[in-house]
Amino acid sequence: MKIQELVEKTNWKTLVLENPDAEVMGGFAGDLLSWVMGNGKPGEVWVTVQVHLNVIAVSSLCEFAGIVLCKGANMPEDVLAKAKDEGLNVLYSDLPAYETIRTLVGLGI
Amino acid sequence: MFYDLHMHSCLSPCAEDEMTPNNICNMAVIKGLDVIAVTDHNSFRQLPSVEIAARRAGIRLIYGAELESSEEVHMLSYFPTLEHTIRFQKWVDDHMPMIRNREDFFGHEWLLDGDDNYRETEKRLLLVSLDASLAECVDAVHEYGGKCVLAHVLDRKNSVTQQLGFIPMDLPYDGLEVKTPEQKQRVLDMHPWIKEDSTVWLCDSDAHRLIDMSEAVNELPAEVLSVLAGRTL
Repeated sequence: MKIQELVEKTNWKTLVLENPDAEVMGGFAGDLLSWVMGNGKPGEVWVTVQVHLNVIAVSSLCEFAGIVLCKGANMPEDVLAKAKDEGLNVLYSDLPAYETIRTLVGLGI
Repeated sequence: MFYDLHMHSCLSPCAEDEMTPNNICNMAVIKGLDVIAVTDHNSFRQLPSVEIAARRAGIRLIYGAELESSEEVHMLSYFPTLEHTIRFQKWVDDHMPMIRNREDFFGHEWLLDGDDNYRETEKRLLLVSLDASLAECVDAVHEYGGKCVLAHVLDRKNSVTQQLGFIPMDLPYDGLEVKTPEQKQRVLDMHPWIKEDSTVWLCDSDAHRLIDMSEAVNELPAEVLSVLAGRTL
């Protein structure tokens, strides 16, 4: 499914949607960026509460289809601006990580 | 000057009871160190007693603490005077979650006097992350007149590289701490934008026991250490 379709099905807030046609091939969860860098795969949506600027670099590096921020993870404006520059997708689920992932699994991801 | 600028007193729950102000300072003299910093987790409150012990032992003391950012990155902060640390402690307290320490699980948090007598117990858990990002912590330390060194940058636990993948390019830190000289080369290999010569590199013990404090092997010019201390050593 394309990330645009994921947005429509979940009603999750789109903070940045620069690449709506990105194909979602799976999911990855993690907040330790070193771990994510070493284990994330292209096309995955990354579920996290980490909002540091380095998130953008890690997402580009792993070629994720998008970042899904969980409840309470507020990404600063400068980080969102960088995500836009990099042509990434950043969504906000307003759900804790467990429920966020359950929703993704429920959609067949 | 031989230095060791990262160790914990018995105020840190994870440190041994033997890490009293006088034991630390006397051990530093035995080891041949010229300057030390006692850097408890998120607290400067042991430092007035450490200062008394340091004067008695004749060792130079830099006033510091190890802060934990919201990303769970550990960062050393150093200040020129005890008054600076008292002012900055208020900022730390305002950003610290109120979690009661469970002594049986984490260990006790003892504040001692200048003669190592028990004074009181810190009730709040100090092993917590502040609700301020790494960049906000660095900015706050600078605003309050201090310096910042990213702690044990290649550690598997609570290091900037573990939590954030790599050292942010635009973070205005004042120094980087590694555990061994070999680690310095690895940091340079990982971060082509970090300049070896214009960076202050510390190699500290992060001792939680007396036996783990550094020997007189890590040396930096007095001028460099004075910049971190914020005063002439």
